[in-house]
Amino acid sequence: MNILGISAHYHDSAAALLVDGVPVCAVQEERLSRRKNDAAFPLGAIEWCLDRAGLEPDALDAVVFYERPMLKFDRILTCALRAFPRSWRSFPNAMKSSLGEKVWVRGIISSHLGVPARKILFTRHHESHAAAAFLTAPTRRAAILTTDGVGEWATLTVGHGERRADGTCAITLLREIRYPHSLGMLYSTFTAYLGFSVNEDEYKVMGLAGYGRPTMVDKVRQLIRPTADGAFALDLEHFEFHTTAARSYSSRFVDLFGPPRNPYEPIDLETPEGQRYADCAASVQRVLEDTLVAIARSLHTETGLTDLCLGGGVALNGVANARILAESGFNRVFVPPAPGDAGCALGAALFADRLHFGNPDRDVPDHPFWGPEVDGVELARVASEDGQRVERFDEDGVLIESLADDLASGRVVGWMDGALELGPRALGHRSILASAESSAMRDRLNRDIKFRDEFRPFAPVVPTEAADRYFELPPGGTRLARFMSGVFKVRPEWRDRLGAITHVDGTTRLQALDRDMSPRLYRLLEAYGSRTGVPVLLNTSFNLSGEPMVNRAVEGYSTFLRCGIDVLVAGQTRVLKRTPLPPSPVGFGEPGLEHQS
Amino acid sequence: MLAPLHRWIWRDAERRVHKLIRFGETETDGGRDILRAAEVTPDPLLRRLYLVHAIDELRHGMLFRQRAASLLPALPSSSKPRFRHDWLAPGGHGLDDLEVDGGSDNSMLAFLHLSEKAAASRFTVYRDVLKHDPPTCAVFDEILHDETFHMNYTLVQLARVSPEHHKRYLWRARLSRLWKAYLRIATALAGVIGGLLLTIQYFVLLPPFAWLAKRAAHREPQGWAAIPRERGESLTRQY
Repeated sequence: MNILGISAHYHDSAAALLVDGVPVCAVQEERLSRRKNDAAFPLGAIEWCLDRAGLEPDALDAVVFYERPMLKFDRILTCALRAFPRSWRSFPNAMKSSLGEKVWVRGIISSHLGVPARKILFTRHHESHAAAAFLTAPTRRAAILTTDGVGEWATLTVGHGERRADGTCAITLLREIRYPHSLGMLYSTFTAYLGFSVNEDEYKVMGLAGYGRPTMVDKVRQLIRPTADGAFALDLEHFEFHTTAARSYSSRFVDLFGPPRNPYEPIDLETPEGQRYADCAASVQRVLEDTLVAIARSLHTETGLTDLCLGGGVALNGVANARILAESGFNRVFVPPAPGDAGCALGAALFADRLHFGNPDRDVPDHPFWGPEVDGVELARVASEDGQRVERFDEDGVLIESLADDLASGRVVGWMDGALELGPRALGHRSILASAESSAMRDRLNRDIKFRDEFRPFAPVVPTEAADRYFELPPGGTRLARFMSGVFKVRPEWRDRLGAITHVDGTTRLQALDRDMSPRLYRLLEAYGSRTGVPVLLNTSFNLSGEPMVNRAVEGYSTFLRCGIDVLVAGQTRVLKRTPLPPSPVGFGEPGLEHQS
Repeated sequence: MLAPLHRWIWRDAERRVHKLIRFGETETDGGRDILRAAEVTPDPLLRRLYLVHAIDELRHGMLFRQRAASLLPALPSSSKPRFRHDWLAPGGHGLDDLEVDGGSDNSMLAFLHLSEKAAASRFTVYRDVLKHDPPTCAVFDEILHDETFHMNYTLVQLARVSPEHHKRYLWRARLSRLWKAYLRIATALAGVIGGLLLTIQYFVLLPPFAWLAKRAAHREPQGWAAIPRERGESLTRQY
């Protein structure tokens, strides 16, 4: 049975293909269109998935959309009515956007793919999140907690999942918190208030929180109050996201927290104003964590289960995930590599396969590498044409040893290996790798390579077996660190030696790498460790600020030319930068590279 | 001819900031499109030239943003610009989207040549009316220097890759720009009319439903809502 899952139209659209119950490929549209967080209908991703599996659209047994468009429209219309007459400005745009395209998903899919309407199915948004979290996790029974900004009406759901002995699966969502009461929207409101892009820069708030103290927790608690039944409710007087599209927070919010940050001015943490922003971030982060821990703890008590599967965009908050693991009572916490909407494409397909069609459960490979493969020959060709120094290695061991030498001598390596990751994290196939040893390396990466804010931390990758030596991992920590889903403390004695990846608060969002998941990167860590004594590398996504992660070798190559990466690797090809930009017959000068936003 | 109008537009600091921010977005989007062209072209020389061009455009985006940021503190706090839609703004989004992946280098070069020429002509006017603001004027000066290179290389390369038909490609690109301009105007007009009709409906038809929706909202309990077991059974429904 061939099932195609699709997520689209909100942010980060994607497609995933299941053949006989097993995922064969999945990719985010942004990785193909090169538009960051591309929300368009993922035609490129669908075509690539079908091509990869050698299928024509008529060979599909079902196409599953990750949410119910009419139910979402119901929410948008209802909220506009409830906010009457304040919603008069946003109403025309909301209607044009919904009625122009978003509610006609069945027709869009049918016309693009030529599949009959009866084959097109719809899961609920949080069912897709739950399936993406539970059905990809190596567990038989687990509690499920999904939370994001909003799906149709639900913003947070709890329930449980089970793989039964007869091969069938069950996902039971017990209850939900409904829009506009939303942890995701609370966090996004602060994201907007702090001058960052909503639905994109929430992780910057988490990074900024490390520099602040939670001095405004009491103020944040005025915005979100616990309800008698153990849930929460937002005080809507402080928000406008549910009434207008222009602003997330109200004047009362500004009265409480002070003037919002101008997004065009950098954050200077040396000033009281910069510190206020950091304290604000720390305060909302603390409240988010406390709320999630309380809900998870109550779910643990209720279900008595030892495993928890987390889904939804809020599950990208590694600090909160680590606290849930440490404080909620669950022994293991599973977060998929793409807990946000992109992963819903896979979740929707799995949900339809296991629960709608009742197909027997199959093990889902426990890795994130579902995208296109990189082609080292393509890199060799384009780099040779440009007169770069290109080396092709027949023996992988020699290449790995030379890269370990590069890294040990302080060079920065653009690393492309095998199939592209699904999800926002670089988990070892499209990474920028560097020595983790000095804070100077962090500054160099922020300044010359990633072109991003100084306060942003970097993540490390370490062999699972060595992780405990350098990082304070609680029981279950290595599982959470498998897909870089948890933030843990760097052991105090290693913080100086690991200055590039140690955040200001002594934490880091590490990836604990199993040999099976990415054997070449694992060997590189070993080789690097044998030279330096510390098998820990800085691992950041292979992209520049504002761009999606690279996919093809030529995209890695163009990124390599535009920033301070010293060495580029794709497959068995290694390229050393000869000039920042290759010379050309028209005689242009070397451009500045400090221009990226 | 339109210099007095431009002078009036640019004289106001708030409008100036808006325009600079919008130009910053346009240049950055355009830079990404050209970067994409560099990644997909099979021609090594064009790849290098597109890459330099893309880097220039991205730098222009940053110059515009930086200038806007430096003007912002001088504005009254109530007038700080927010992100706004602008249907009539040419740029990398909306109807002016460039189909880089499916297009040929001939079309790309012709399109770029005309775009750069049009931009250079506009920026020359802006620079001339901004004499009272030397830093902003300097930004346009710097960008105009690059635009000259972009105009020249695109024309030279178009003649190289299509020596016999390059004029035909330029005409096609002109017609395509005209068509896109028409579409932009038509869509903007349709958007205004649609918005107006929807706004009228909002105030005429919605009040009773709004009253009902508000009443229902008051009865809605806060906190957990139980999910009925039978809810998720059918996947054929959209609601």
